[in-house]
Amino acid sequence: MFPEPRIEVALTVSAGAVADVRLRSGRLTRAAALLAGRPAGEAVRLLPTVFALCGTAQTLAGLAAVEQAAGIAVAAPHRAARRLLLLAETVGEHALGMARDWPALLDEAPDLEAAKPLRAALARLRPALYPQGDWSRPGGGELRPDRSQLADAIAAAEGAVCRLLAAPPEAVVADPAALTAWARQGAAAPARLMGRVLAERLEDFGCGVFRPMPPGGPADLAGRLAADADGCYVAQPDSAGEVFETGPLARLSARPLAMALMAEHGNGLLARFAIRLMELKEALRDLAPLVHDLFDAPGHGTPPDATGTGLGLVEAARGLLAHRVELAEGRVARYQILAPTEWNFHPAGPLVAGLTGVPAADVRRRAALLVNALDPCVACAVAVEGDPPCMRCL
Amino acid sequence: MAVPSRIVAIDGDCATVEAFGVTRTCSLMLLAEEVAVGDYLILGAGGSFAAERVPEEAARAALDYLAAVLAGGQA
Repeated sequence: MFPEPRIEVALTVSAGAVADVRLRSGRLTRAAALLAGRPAGEAVRLLPTVFALCGTAQTLAGLAAVEQAAGIAVAAPHRAARRLLLLAETVGEHALGMARDWPALLDEAPDLEAAKPLRAALARLRPALYPQGDWSRPGGGELRPDRSQLADAIAAAEGAVCRLLAAPPEAVVADPAALTAWARQGAAAPARLMGRVLAERLEDFGCGVFRPMPPGGPADLAGRLAADADGCYVAQPDSAGEVFETGPLARLSARPLAMALMAEHGNGLLARFAIRLMELKEALRDLAPLVHDLFDAPGHGTPPDATGTGLGLVEAARGLLAHRVELAEGRVARYQILAPTEWNFHPAGPLVAGLTGVPAADVRRRAALLVNALDPCVACAVAVEGDPPCMRCL
Repeated sequence: MAVPSRIVAIDGDCATVEAFGVTRTCSLMLLAEEVAVGDYLILGAGGSFAAERVPEEAARAALDYLAAVLAGGQA
């Protein structure tokens, strides 16, 4: 039996508040090492299946690493196509989380009426770009963009998101007042979840010191990965002892909506859920203009004797994703992956900081809200000392 | 990590899938395409919903890799 990776969060309550937060991770953070020995292209082709959650971002990070190691320059149309695929995945991860996971936090059924057409629309994008299915080839596959198909699929995705939110996303996140009005109206599950946060005065639940990931990652990232012989760094990363949070709030904290909500309520539940809505809106908005940057472009191959080291960084929906590869004679000599969950669910990261000291009342359910707002890439179970665990499928 | 699971039975919008000798049920409601017994699926985190169908060749390659992860003590 292959063990299902998961994170367990154990809360110890004392004197009416959470006194201790312990994380136990069953994440297979060192498994990427077993890509060693494979030809570079074969290793990258495995990524979207083996690391299927955020599989596009995983593949793009792998491609960037391999291409840097092999000295391959990627043509502009391929870069635009990859950007489009990454944005589409961001739309899908946020929107499907809102359709599938947010209703569960309200004890409601998933919103399949919105989720299914969204998945169908997004699934049309890859074949409309790379009809031969070779989008994951280092240097780029055979790019043959079908603009009509792409425009139709993007329009369908926009329609599905509007149905999911029961409003256009740009109207929902226009400003704090619009967000509050939408939430209180409660016409859709995401609005009802935000409405519950407001009604229960949980806006600042989970606040802590805000340490956003620097753009492009920590300055010492490449060096720490290179020196990480035992895999301890990719399991519990830091930068000079500091643990950053990564993801939508770290990326978009300078947006007026984020600044307004954080000024009033800190980096608690309200700001975290709201900024995921904001990122959904922005990713959806940025899809259509990219179609104009797409042109036919030929495929590329990896030099059979490529030797070198590469670091690929991608801002995935859940945060910064880093792949590092060492190639020798065209084969992978070493492969490492550092995923955003290792930052956000670090013993000194934002989840633990946000839960330490919160009132004990209803803490298991509230902690599940914060877990979901931080959006780990595996299932996460929350348990309060003396309580049975509460499993949330995320 | 995701484990490709082979469909062994379908009942309406639910499928019974198998991987590494373990069977479980999952919803097909979020899939964007039709699937049949014998197809391989990737399940979303938590395993409640099938996320996508995977071509057999890619699924077998991934299962070989995951078997090596298991044998190597990485899992």
